[in-house]
Amino acid sequence: MENKEDDFYIGYVDNISVKTKKTVTNFVFFGILTLITIAVIFAFTQNTFKNSTFELTTNTKIMGVYHEMPYPMLKVKTAENTFKNILLLGFGKSSANPFLKKIRNEISQLSGSMVSIEGNLIYYNGKTLLQITNDEKITLVEKANSQKLPQTKSLVKDMELKGEIIDPKCYFGVMKPGKGKIHRSCAVLCISGGIPPVLATTDENNISEYYLITDLKGNPINKKILPYIGKPSLLTGNIVQLEDWYQLQIDVNTIKDLNRPSKIY
Amino acid sequence: MGVNYQPVLWNRNKKIYDKWIVIGMLIYLLCFIGITIITNNETSVETLIIRAFGTLAIALLHIILVIGPLARLNSKFLPLLYNRRHLGVSMFLAALVHGGFSVFQFHSLGNVNPIYAIFTSNMDYGSLANFPFQVLGFFALVILFLMAATSHDFWLKNLSPKTWKRLHMMVYLAYGLIILHVFLGALQQQPSIGSIAIMSLGFITIATLHLVTGSKETKADKTKTQHIENGWEYVCDIDEVPEDRAKIFIVGKERIAVFKYDNKLSAISNVCKHQGGPLGEGKVVDGCVTCPWHGYQYLPHNGQSPPPFTEKIATYRLKNDNNKIYVLPEALAEGTEVEPITF
Repeated sequence: MENKEDDFYIGYVDNISVKTKKTVTNFVFFGILTLITIAVIFAFTQNTFKNSTFELTTNTKIMGVYHEMPYPMLKVKTAENTFKNILLLGFGKSSANPFLKKIRNEISQLSGSMVSIEGNLIYYNGKTLLQITNDEKITLVEKANSQKLPQTKSLVKDMELKGEIIDPKCYFGVMKPGKGKIHRSCAVLCISGGIPPVLATTDENNISEYYLITDLKGNPINKKILPYIGKPSLLTGNIVQLEDWYQLQIDVNTIKDLNRPSKIY
Repeated sequence: MGVNYQPVLWNRNKKIYDKWIVIGMLIYLLCFIGITIITNNETSVETLIIRAFGTLAIALLHIILVIGPLARLNSKFLPLLYNRRHLGVSMFLAALVHGGFSVFQFHSLGNVNPIYAIFTSNMDYGSLANFPFQVLGFFALVILFLMAATSHDFWLKNLSPKTWKRLHMMVYLAYGLIILHVFLGALQQQPSIGSIAIMSLGFITIATLHLVTGSKETKADKTKTQHIENGWEYVCDIDEVPEDRAKIFIVGKERIAVFKYDNKLSAISNVCKHQGGPLGEGKVVDGCVTCPWHGYQYLPHNGQSPPPFTEKIATYRLKNDNNKIYVLPEALAEGTEVEPITF
């Protein structure tokens, strides 16, 4: 005779003893409480996200003077005698250059030309960028006029700056966070794809400044700077002002990895 | 048990189990996403998805890893073991959402293949602080995929239980990789006492439960039979074996289960053919030894699953000498009929 008092659970038999049911119910209750606790802890311990914006689903048409000193930008008039230089970027982890190929072939000189571009705006902390997703949405408005190009001004020689080399597309809005170790691989791919490297610095008053990085002759740098991206670094170079942007002209070989120790070990 | 392979052999208990998996996952996601949106509303949708599902997968993995030892320590937890593979597949799906979105977000739309980019976009393999933590997560996800993909009994049968078990024991390697993935990734960028404490507490809980269970099993395995007469080993008196239940003994180097039922005694291997469950902790139900893990059944006198099932386990000869039970340690071929001893 089978001992009916002897509690034994069989998964495919519907009956379950009161004692076993109580244990399982307690486990489920405790498990749900544990899940809630873990969710609360992980959710509350996230760093505060920046109020940066990427208008992924909104297309905006902007008009301005195209220039590349050395990175593609559009000088846009925002008010009387007030201009903003908007950094141009391509889709995904790409520079704007593949999307500018068509219009470059159509007109003899793009630099200094007034063009209209439709794309997705990215903005944060006073800086604006535009993602171009379609080369058909770039149209010539007015032929080149070198008088309209922005003026550069040499400010300081051999300036030392501490900060992190970031890719501006993610940092200024596409990703949150768009800096640091978690984002490092993405930043490497973005800059490798032609997106300009930018040094982001923060002073003791938590005020940030940004520098487009070029080589000492003002030419673009991409591949050579990859090992230093996403890590606290010390950069030495010449500061050049390009209206509302700064450029930092450097010799890549002089970048120093600050090798900051980890915060958790 | 099933004769034909079906995606899932649904029953009431499995449905209840899966209902609570879904409820638990939804509660977690609602809590994490709700709190983030209310308290940190500048987040992006992609980041929210990556973090919500990544942390959910970690939480579920911890629950999965405590069920095994709890069920070994107390049989009342066995219902949690019965359908654990569904919990495992759910955890993999959460990890896949996390991994898939992360690969798309951080490694795709570039000038190299996204999978190649995981391994090459950060080459600081020699540095602990800068180590490319994504690689660890990638390998963990591959292991979890292999486990989820082979979780069905079809694979258990075709890979052989031994190979299947080895493959599924890799969950501990995946767990280790995930711990490192978190400590060398997210916790490097945003270290907090709360997150580090909960991860550490989880590890301590899992490690302690496994050590306690392992210690109990090792102790049982070291218990040797005391008297040997002409090759027969004395194991216990008849009265010591409960009705419809068994006592487990180490005879030779094998665990065997001596079952008492209908005034008879039979000895079989303690290891279920399905997933290696401890048959000696099972019960004789409807004349069959029933495994406590998933209910696989064997006839006690020949170790054969009742038709139409075909599983077979080794049997052992017993003798009764003045209510003292003796076992002949040599295992008989699987499915060999042995006349039960009566009393």
